Amino acid sequence: MQNLPAVDVLGQVVAQRTAVARRLASVRRVVAIAGGKGGVGKSLLTANLAAALATDAARVGVLDADIHGPSAALMLGARGQRPKLGPQGARPAIGVCDVRVMSMDLLLNDDDSAVRWRHYGGLADDTFVWRGTLEANVLREFLADTEWGELEYLLIDMPPGADRFETLLRLLPELSGAAMVTTPSEASLLVVRRAAAAAQQSGARILGLVENMAATSGPGRGRDLADDLGIPFLASVPFDPDLARNTEAGRPGVLIDPRAPGARAILELAHRLKGILA
Amino acid sequence: MEFVSNDTDRASGVMAIQYSCPNCGRRISMVTNPGETQMVSSLGVTIGHEALAEGGAGPMNQIRRSLEGEASWTDDRGLPDPVWTEAAERRLAAAPGFVQGMVRRLYTDWAKRNGYEEVSPAVMSKARDALGMSEM
Repeated sequence: MQNLPAVDVLGQVVAQRTAVARRLASVRRVVAIAGGKGGVGKSLLTANLAAALATDAARVGVLDADIHGPSAALMLGARGQRPKLGPQGARPAIGVCDVRVMSMDLLLNDDDSAVRWRHYGGLADDTFVWRGTLEANVLREFLADTEWGELEYLLIDMPPGADRFETLLRLLPELSGAAMVTTPSEASLLVVRRAAAAAQQSGARILGLVENMAATSGPGRGRDLADDLGIPFLASVPFDPDLARNTEAGRPGVLIDPRAPGARAILELAHRLKGILA
Repeated sequence: MEFVSNDTDRASGVMAIQYSCPNCGRRISMVTNPGETQMVSSLGVTIGHEALAEGGAGPMNQIRRSLEGEASWTDDRGLPDPVWTEAAERRLAAAPGFVQGMVRRLYTDWAKRNGYEEVSPAVMSKARDALGMSEM
């Protein structure tokens, strides 16, 4: 029998955390765009916020943490590029305003490919046992193995689910904070309230609340929710079909028509966040 | 310890290996099942031959080994980027500033993939047609 060296599993797990911190040492601010609720426009806000921050000469990256529903590459005009794999990591795609983008979307072969994980033996019916662990590690690899370079801001577009935020925080204790996103709907307000409470209990810094798809007449109950939670109300972004249409075509609306009400609100949000994070 | 038997059942994914002590004759078994292997693998750690590879398993190993189907990476090892000609630079400069970096990357990647050593307006036109881009 060949004498094989011992494989230090625990040591590897510890080293994984160190690798995240080492990679992100060149990133000044890491901000999660979260909410817990799907369909509130987190990705659209993330893309526009990234573009708004980048037009101000800041180097910006976006990590699409929505592994099963990635859309950041689409909204930042980065689809069609493939991350370049080298010995030190993967070079991200380059989106509008040179925003660096890493997303599962960039790795899937075509629009009909869904994310499916290989598994050992006959475990197809038991994926729920290990899927969460594996996907937390996929997120860790995106953080640690992407060659982000020097960034002023790394925005993390979070998937729905309050639990995902806790996972991120465990991987990334240095997180600068989270901007929570809601719509004025009762369902969204309820879910986001719980997600914000969970994030606060995890020890995360909540930078504030954004009310997206608001009525053009001004903020709705998002402001009340922010007051209830004791967090800043960051912005009320009115529903703007043109902004959505342009962003989904890979041209974030803040770049196309910065005077439109939705774009203006996002530009003000970017300005506000910069102040909070300064 | 001396190797006695390997009772691995590949169909079920259960592995059982027996060793025996040459002095006292006692036997020990190492047993693992697919669930254990999957859990350890899901931690993102390397075991077996991967752990022994020089330089480790490499970046994005969890994704590369776990994602079903061939993940679409571009291998960037050792290949230089094509050079942009002056005419190509002028054509790129006519694009809105906020897309120039992205467009440069798209054309550079396409030219590299297709074996061009420089990006000229002619190569840009070919790339534009191949990529289905309406402008530039």
